[in-house]
Amino acid sequence: MASLTQLLYTARDALSAQTYGVNVTGQNLANVNTPGYVRREAVLETRALGTQTTGSVVATGIRRVTDEFLERRQLDATGLNSAASEHDSRLQSLEALFNDSSGTGLGTSLDNLYNSFASLSANPSDTTVRQNVLSAADGFSQKVRDTGDTIAQSRADLLQDAQSTTDQINEQAQAIARLNTQIVAAEAQGGDAADLKDQRKQVLLGLASLVDVRAITSGSGIVVQAAGTTLVDGTEARKLSIDLGTDSKIRVFAAREGGTPTEVTKFLTGGKLAGIKDARDVDLFDTGKKLDEFVFDVATSINQQHQVGFGTDGVSGRNLFDVGTGSDVARVFKVSSDVAGNPAAIAASGSSATLPGGSDNAAALSKLSSAPVVFGNTRSAAQAYGDMVGDVAQRRSNTEKMMQQREAISAQLEAMNQSMSGVSLDEEFVNLTKFQRAYEASSKVLTTADQLLQELIQRV
Amino acid sequence: MRVTDGMKYADVGRNLARIQTENAEASQQASTGQRLTKPSDDPIAAAELARLRASLSTAVNRRQVVQTAKSDADLAESTLSQVTELLGRARELAMQGSNDSLGPDDRTALSNEARSVRTQMLGLANARGAKGYLFSGSQTDTTAFDTNGVFQGDDVPQTVDIGGSSPTAVSASGAMAFTSAGGRDVFADLDTLATALANNDRAGTAASLDNLDANQKQITSERARVGLVSSKLETSDNVLEQLNLDLSKRQNGIGAADPFEAYSKMSSLSQSLERAVAVSRQVLDSTNYWRS
Repeated sequence: MASLTQLLYTARDALSAQTYGVNVTGQNLANVNTPGYVRREAVLETRALGTQTTGSVVATGIRRVTDEFLERRQLDATGLNSAASEHDSRLQSLEALFNDSSGTGLGTSLDNLYNSFASLSANPSDTTVRQNVLSAADGFSQKVRDTGDTIAQSRADLLQDAQSTTDQINEQAQAIARLNTQIVAAEAQGGDAADLKDQRKQVLLGLASLVDVRAITSGSGIVVQAAGTTLVDGTEARKLSIDLGTDSKIRVFAAREGGTPTEVTKFLTGGKLAGIKDARDVDLFDTGKKLDEFVFDVATSINQQHQVGFGTDGVSGRNLFDVGTGSDVARVFKVSSDVAGNPAAIAASGSSATLPGGSDNAAALSKLSSAPVVFGNTRSAAQAYGDMVGDVAQRRSNTEKMMQQREAISAQLEAMNQSMSGVSLDEEFVNLTKFQRAYEASSKVLTTADQLLQELIQRV
Repeated sequence: MRVTDGMKYADVGRNLARIQTENAEASQQASTGQRLTKPSDDPIAAAELARLRASLSTAVNRRQVVQTAKSDADLAESTLSQVTELLGRARELAMQGSNDSLGPDDRTALSNEARSVRTQMLGLANARGAKGYLFSGSQTDTTAFDTNGVFQGDDVPQTVDIGGSSPTAVSASGAMAFTSAGGRDVFADLDTLATALANNDRAGTAASLDNLDANQKQITSERARVGLVSSKLETSDNVLEQLNLDLSKRQNGIGAADPFEAYSKMSSLSQSLERAVAVSRQVLDSTNYWRS
């Protein structure tokens, strides 16, 4: 049979357990806006002491309400979303380069060049008209150089960004390794390490937005895999590094501290780093190459026609443009020094006998505007330029759609995680009331037990 | 599903941001009149628009070229028509000179007038157009005939690109109109007439008549050819004008925003923005019940 003293102890335990509950509710309410905070539940159990029934309650600790599976999927989604949005935002400036709607772009300057040839055919001996051809050629070459330079500069900037992103990844990896150490130590001393785990979760999410991440719980904290390779193994962090391959594309390496780096480029699928690499080494690379090819074809066809004609000074065999070779055409493209500043050198006439009024070569140059001279002699210059505009627009449109899709998935998973682990003020207010009422009830029990004891003492 | 406060705030934020983005896009469409605010809105249309813009700019330029060429062709035609009149006057002089009743003094006077006709005609043959001497062929900087009536140009036609498959020859030929390349040397024939008249050579003067008739024919035929060129250029101009219109229409069809649609989209979006703000306020207020 339970004694009155026993009742006192039960009331005391109850007061302490309900206080704990209020305490935990208070923590949840305090952290309603803390990123990465996982809501806690007070774990209350009946106290078992030997075989006797005591009916006493004890708060054994707290439980972080989380779902590892959901968390892993959120890491995935965050990585893919961040890759897509980085990729998309990096293509914005590329798209702007090929947006001719204001009539000041590369396409317009190309039209001006061909049109100046047609005007020359109408009036071949006029110096002003010849000057106009020169300035149109100069305008075109300048636009080409600007476009080439902008693409090259974007790629250089992206390389810098990839470098600083890699540095951030390595810092975050070290932070996770440190947190792993602290969590293992805290748990060894019987603590729950909930705050540390929240912190680690938040760092992991940050890491996932930089590089694709998989986190696996193991004995000593968690193992983090990034770009398909182990980045953090318990308390040891490894390092990612980047360099440029011979094709000028970014390569990613992973290594232990002081170890030999292994290339992991092809495993990189998510995070800002992947977005940067896709924009730089796929879209900007391809477009730059296409621009070079386009400029080379256009300029070569014009040069060939220009060479067979004669300037009013009776000289033939001159190029209109200096065309570079190989991978660097656009950036070094300029009006040939043979004709620059010399309107008489524009070859309008097809024969030295028909100077200065011969216009057949000017007409032939103008005719090139509709001749298939670009991309393996399949497209006219204007068609080819339209193709390039369409290609760049399609690339941006693809990344935009991809970004929207992944954003939606990421938002969905964030909502699912929030639904599982987020703090609901309504719920916490209910809990607060629940513990408060229980506390009031227990203190009533305490008062009752006290009164009974007093009565008993007076009788004695 | 368990709904937490964080979810509510995130949802509200995302939805408002999305509506704001759409709103900004719609007002950009309405204010610029362009359906495509950027190429990626419709890549196929963007490529098409780039090509259309090139075609349009080519058509506009070719029209200018056509008009320049046409003004020269018209000038050549009217010059040749004046030449025909002058030749008619020369023929009258020859007719008068062939008359038996005329004495040497009369013929000398006629000869002087014939020389003046020749000088006037030299002036016409050396007329300048937009691109230089009209009748010098490719030698546009050189007078077509020197004072002796010797042709200094060539018979190379000027070719221009006015669209179409191959360049078109547009210039008048001084060689065909005035020199033996076209049949007879007009200035030599005028010289012969003047000399015959000066020498009081009635038979020689009468003989000139046939030559002058041949000259007349020769000039008329070149004039007809230039007239044909001019009317061809006129046709090209009309075709290009129509092409310009068609291309602009097509450009508008693809690239321009429908102003009514843009406006109604904008106003419906701003309404939905207001509604969304009102709803958001309520959603966020629902948490306040507990405080009271």
